[in-house]
Parts: sequence; C-alpha cells; structure tokens
Amino acid sequence: MHKDMKKKRDIAIIGVGQTAFGELFQYSYDDLVREAATLAMKDAGVGAEEIQAAWLSTAFPEIGVYKGRSGMDLSEPLGIFGIPITRVSNFCASGADAIRNAANALAAGECDVAMALGVEKLRDRSPQDSIVKMMVELTHPFYQKGFTAAGTFAVYANRIMHEYGVTREDLANISVKNHFHGTMNEKAHYRACCTLDQVLSSPMVSFPLTVMDSCPTTDGAACVIMIRAEDVDKSKHKPIYIDGIGLSVSTGWDLPFFDSRQKFLSFQANRDAAAMAYKQAGITKPMDEIDLVEIHDCFSIVELITYEDLGFCKVGEAKDLIRGKVTTLGGELPVNVSGGLLSCGHPVGATGVRMVVEVATHLRDKAGARQVKGAKRGLTHNIGGPGAIASVIILNNEH
Amino acid sequence: MLQSSSTVKSQHCICYVDEDLFTLSFSAASKIIDESCAIDAIFFATSTPVFKERYHASFMADLLGLKQGIFAMDIISTARAGTDALLLADKLVNAGQYKNILLIAANVDFAAIGDENQSSGHAAMAMVISTEKGLAEISSSESFSSSFAEEFYYKGQKTVYDLRFSRSAGFKANIENAWIKTAPQNGKFGGIIINSPYARMILGIMKKSGFDTDKQLLKDNVKSMVGNTAACHALLLLISAIENCNGSVLLFDYMNGTNVISLKIKSKPDIPKLANLEFINIESYHDYLKLRKQGDFTDINYRHQEMFSSEMMMEREKGRLLYLMADECTKCHSVFLIKIARCNHCHGKEFFEKKLQRKGTVYTLTSELYFPSSFPPINMIVIDIDGGGRLTLQQTDDLYSTEENKIKIGDRVELVYRKMIENDSKPNYFWKCIKI
Repeated sequence: MHKDMKKKRDIAIIGVGQTAFGELFQYSYDDLVREAATLAMKDAGVGAEEIQAAWLSTAFPEIGVYKGRSGMDLSEPLGIFGIPITRVSNFCASGADAIRNAANALAAGECDVAMALGVEKLRDRSPQDSIVKMMVELTHPFYQKGFTAAGTFAVYANRIMHEYGVTREDLANISVKNHFHGTMNEKAHYRACCTLDQVLSSPMVSFPLTVMDSCPTTDGAACVIMIRAEDVDKSKHKPIYIDGIGLSVSTGWDLPFFDSRQKFLSFQANRDAAAMAYKQAGITKPMDEIDLVEIHDCFSIVELITYEDLGFCKVGEAKDLIRGKVTTLGGELPVNVSGGLLSCGHPVGATGVRMVVEVATHLRDKAGARQVKGAKRGLTHNIGGPGAIASVIILNNEH
Repeated sequence: MLQSSSTVKSQHCICYVDEDLFTLSFSAASKIIDESCAIDAIFFATSTPVFKERYHASFMADLLGLKQGIFAMDIISTARAGTDALLLADKLVNAGQYKNILLIAANVDFAAIGDENQSSGHAAMAMVISTEKGLAEISSSESFSSSFAEEFYYKGQKTVYDLRFSRSAGFKANIENAWIKTAPQNGKFGGIIINSPYARMILGIMKKSGFDTDKQLLKDNVKSMVGNTAACHALLLLISAIENCNGSVLLFDYMNGTNVISLKIKSKPDIPKLANLEFINIESYHDYLKLRKQGDFTDINYRHQEMFSSEMMMEREKGRLLYLMADECTKCHSVFLIKIARCNHCHGKEFFEKKLQRKGTVYTLTSELYFPSSFPPINMIVIDIDGGGRLTLQQTDDLYSTEENKIKIGDRVELVYRKMIENDSKPNYFWKCIKI
C-alpha cells in the first residue's frame, strides 16, 4: 500500500513547450532540448538565467545516442551552468518523475523557478536496435528472456481476455480511437486514421498485440517551467496548478513474473499512484471530477487496464467504456485526445512531460480542434517497467 | 529429438536448437535420479567434449545438484568411452569403493555440411551402477587392449586405414582375442551385441563357434532410429537389450581394442525409454542448417550481439537459477523466486526456503514474434507451479507449431533445462517448458 503523500505547498506550471514528435533525423538530442526549453521559457516569460534548478528526464541513453546520462546533457545545450541539474530515470515514468522532483524542490524552498525537461532520441537506431536490443542483451540473462516490451503487457491482455471477455476488437478500437485523435495533433508522430481491420491485420508483435496496438519509438522533447503558486503573477502568467502527484514503485522489473500472487489483471502501481494523487486533490469520484485524461497507452491493453485502476469503471467493465465511446473526444471522459502514445509516439523520457503539456494546453483552452470543451481538471498517467512504476498527476486551471 | 528425413539412407537425429551435450545429458540423468538417490560418484563419457581443460562430470554433478566434492571423472575422446566408464564403475562398485555411480554418456557431433550421410546421431543416456538390486546385473566385464586403430583423428584430420588391412590386422585379430577368451560361456547368451563398424566380419567366427547368428545376434536398432551415437552407442544398445531381451546378453564394444560385458537381465523398466523416443521430422534443409547454427540465426532483421552474462552471477545465484529454490512467506504463503526482504503482499519478513516443482499449469502466455530466434515465435509461458510458485519461461521443442504443442491457458507443462541464447560463446542455461 502507498503511504499518504502530503502536498506541502501548491505548485504552478507557468510555461510549457514541446517539439514535434517523430523521426526527427534532422535534429540532434541537443537540438530537441533547446527547442522544447526555449518554447517553455518563452511561454513562461522567463529567461535561462532565471532557472534555479532543473531535472532532465532521459530513460535510455544506452539504446539512444548515449546522451542523457546526467544533468550535464541539459546544461550543455542550454548554456545553463552553476545550478543543480539532476538526471531522472524511472523507466516510462521518468518525465512525470522529473516534474515531481521539481515540484518537491519548489515546495521545499530549494529554488523559486524550476525546469523539468524530458527528451529521448531513439530513431537514430532501428527499433530492433533499441527497445528490442534492450530486452535481448541488456537485461538479466535469464529472467524474462524472450519477452519484448510488448510481450510483458501481452500476458496481461491474454489473461484479461480469458477472465473478462475482452476481445481483440476491444483492444484494437483503443488504437482506432487514439489514431483518430492524433489526426488533430500537429505534433503527433502519426497523423492518420486507421480502421479496426487495419489494426487487427497489422503484423503481430506479441499475441494479441499487433504493430498498431503498439506505440512507436520516437524522437522528441517536452518541457515545463514551474514556480510556487504563491509566486504566480496573473498579469504575466497563465498558470496551471498541480492538484496532486502520486508516484509509486509497486513491484519490480522481474518480480511480477516470478510472484505467485500476480494476477495480471491490474497494475498495483496504478492504483497506488492514483490513491496518492486523488487524496492530495480531494478526488473521490474520478469519473465525475476529471474532464480529460492522458493515459500511457504504450500498448492498447494498458489503456484498458488503466480505466479500471484509476477508478473510471468497475473491475471487468473497462471494455464497456470503449464499446460505448465514453473515452472518445466528445464522450463523457475523453482519454488521449492528443492521440496518446499510439499516435504521438513514445520518446520515453519526454512522454510524461508531453502529457502535462497536453493537459495544460486544454486547461488553457488552447488545444484547437481537439480541445475538450470546458475542461477544468485533467489527469496524466504513466506506467513504467512491466507495470511496476506508475505516476498520476492531477492538473487544474483554478487554484 | 529431431530427425532429418532428407537422407533416407542414413537417417539420423540432431538435437533442437537450444540443446547440446549437457542439456541432453541433464535430461537423461534427471529422469533417473532424485534426492533419495545417494550418488557418490559420477562418470561422464563422450567423444564430443564441449570443454577443454574443464571437467564435464563436475559440471554435470553441479547441474544435477549432487553432493559437493563428489568423485567426478571424465572419460572422453574415444569411441569406447561409454563402456570404458561402465567397466570402471563396475569394478569400483564391486571393490566397495562407491555404492551408486552415475554414468552419463553423450554424443553431439555434427558432420560437415554436405557430408551428413555420416549419420552421426545426437543422444545421451544415463544409468546408475549400484550395489543395490537393479534392472540388470553385470556378470563380468573385461577390456582387451590393442594398439591398432582402424580409424582415428590425427592433427584434426580423419585417418582411415585400408579396409582389408584393418580387417585382418585390426578387427579380426582383436575381436578374436576377446571372443576366444569369452567363448566358452557364449553359448548361454540369449543375445549378443557387436558394436563395431566391422561387425559383419565376425559372423563367420561366431558361426564356427557354433552360434546361431540369426537368433542370437541383436540388430542395431539404435543406429536405424537415432544414428551412430559414438561414445554412448554401445550403452544404448545395452539399454535396448534390457528393454527387449530376456536372460543374459553379451556385449562386444570394439574400436581400437574390445570391451566385453555380460549382463543378466533381471527385470524390465516400467516405461521402455528407447521404444518411446519421439521424433520430429525436419521439413527443409534450410531448417536443418538453422538447427546446425549455420548462417543467419534469426528470421528478424536483428544484428545479434552477445547478451549480458556472468559466471559470477551463475555461481552466486545457483540456488534460484538452477535449483529453483524460492522463498515462501510464512504468513501469506506467497512464493517468490526473486529474493525480496519483505513480502510484497502481506509485508511479512519471514520466509521458508521452498524448492519449486518442475510441473505446473499455464496461467497466461504470449507469442513473441520479434524476439530474435531461429524459429519464431518464442512463446513466453507464465506458469503456476504445482505446490506453489510462479515462473515465466520460454516454451521449447516447438520447431513446428502443431495442435499437440500449442499451449493455452490451463494446459499442463513440464520444465526442461536448455540453452538460453542460441549462439552464445559459453554455457548459458536456464529453464524452459514443454507441453505435457
């Protein structure tokens, strides 16, 4: 069980920036850092010299371009020296964890203006040479050997299909929904609709997950500038407030596959992180109290499981949210209107930050064609490792 | 075992892509010993050693979890290695030196590509030579030495003497020597086994001695099923005789000298091993080459590099990785193969040590098409182990997907010990599973 994480002081996001996500062959790691940071600092109305501390999120330097191993790889491209900069690595929750660390430092009074930046450069290599390579060569020689990343979630999918009557079509429709949303996001890696048949008939990666049930590896960066809520100048800033942040490591990298009680129906980390964030935000009925959600749909099954883990429906009923189009833009609770990871792509260290940028953009009513109308409170969710680490952040446009 | 169907004249078996001398040996030996079997010595016989300067017998003793410091000896590189080991074991047991000697003989040899008609078969066998009652009793065992070798390797090259010279100077002289010394008793034997490439030459001598070769000479059914298994061939023929004959059997294992072993068959095994061997036909030469680890190892565009591996890790974590020693929470009875200081479910801090069983039921699974493999997909199986515990392992022996080997939730599986990465440069073994 999680501990009650207490929010000491309120934190505001005053600047957001994001590069395009995709195969950015023309941009280096440093270029991506510069672009995302510059956009965020401009949005916040702060200069580089005003940043007092920063957190850099890059999950996998060793399968990328060997950049992001320490805070140096943020300071160098930005020319920011003489302040504390820390690299954060927590698998796919790295970006959200960078924001959590920045928020904690602000709350503690260590700094007054903080930057959290996530960046990953994966497309300089083929997918087989990055994520697959990691699973083949860079992990324990025996435990889990034979899995790709997709496979570690596919075992959940097969058990859930067995227990709850979820179908391959239910999973594929998540991909169809998110690809539809992605057509409205000019920064998404893929901006094309797809049909149910296209998802089902795309090459199988790890049964029952096909290529189109799986997010691509991607280049990209995203950045947020944060201050304490008490320091917000409304004449200058368009703040978005952090209502709650939960992050939980609830199992291990190998443990789920060698633990006799692991049911493969839910992610305990999701439930622990959500409980922390909901308590801080005072949320008791998430379906009624949240207006939009960005879920870590690295694979379609993860979005389905997370509906239940975040309390949007009862156990075993997640498929009904998809079948009823509840989570499509225009539905009761739009999920992944950005296009999600399936459409935006997944520069691992950047994704959590990108989600916060996305939700903040909606809460500022600036999301254009995909705007969730009247959105006041949004949630971002990341899951890392084989469902071991999860982060939930609740954002609000009111304080 | 996989059987090449492309060479009808000399059909032979090769092991699966994740098998080798040790996994075959482990499979054979682990079927006949258990914790109650107090093995006090182990002999390993092969003409196709994997190591140089490292004991195969010691390695096997460790894999099998035998007592530390046990007497372990390799008898390698000669075609009579199997019966050499049996002779030695018999004499040591009779002398009272050891009570239960585990004898493993194995052969994994690949003929040169394009020269597969040599019909070298891959196989391993294991037997326990004991003072206790068993399937058969060794009445006598003798070894007749000779310096004459008809064929052998010298500086890596095979040397074969002229057949006529071999027959007269080698085989005839040597086998006659052994035959004459054992002939007085020969008439009593229900079956006679001649393990030699020149076996037919002795028929005349046998007939002169009054034997009915049609009735008494046992046919080499192992060669026709599996191929020539070199160091373990004579012992496989003995097993075949135990399974199929009654009374007494006399074995001549001839190559550069002769080992002669006479056996009294006491009883039959509950389940005949040789008669129940299962084979899969290899459907294409391309598949055969992949099994031989020739050319590309994978069907996926993946540039293979050596995976991370550590001898220190293997030694340090042997209890878990090899012997499957897990921790069971004393409070909630959750079982963890991964060591944790506190139970992830009830937070209990006390654990029993629990040895996991080797059978279980499939809880969930997936088929991986993008993990590098010679024969994708790799099926990853999450198993509820009988008696408690959870393992997630690769399925193996699934070269061709069939209804018989297709695994689904609820199916029963058994653990087998196999190589993990196909073309690694050192022994790298872990558990996999097969459908039962």
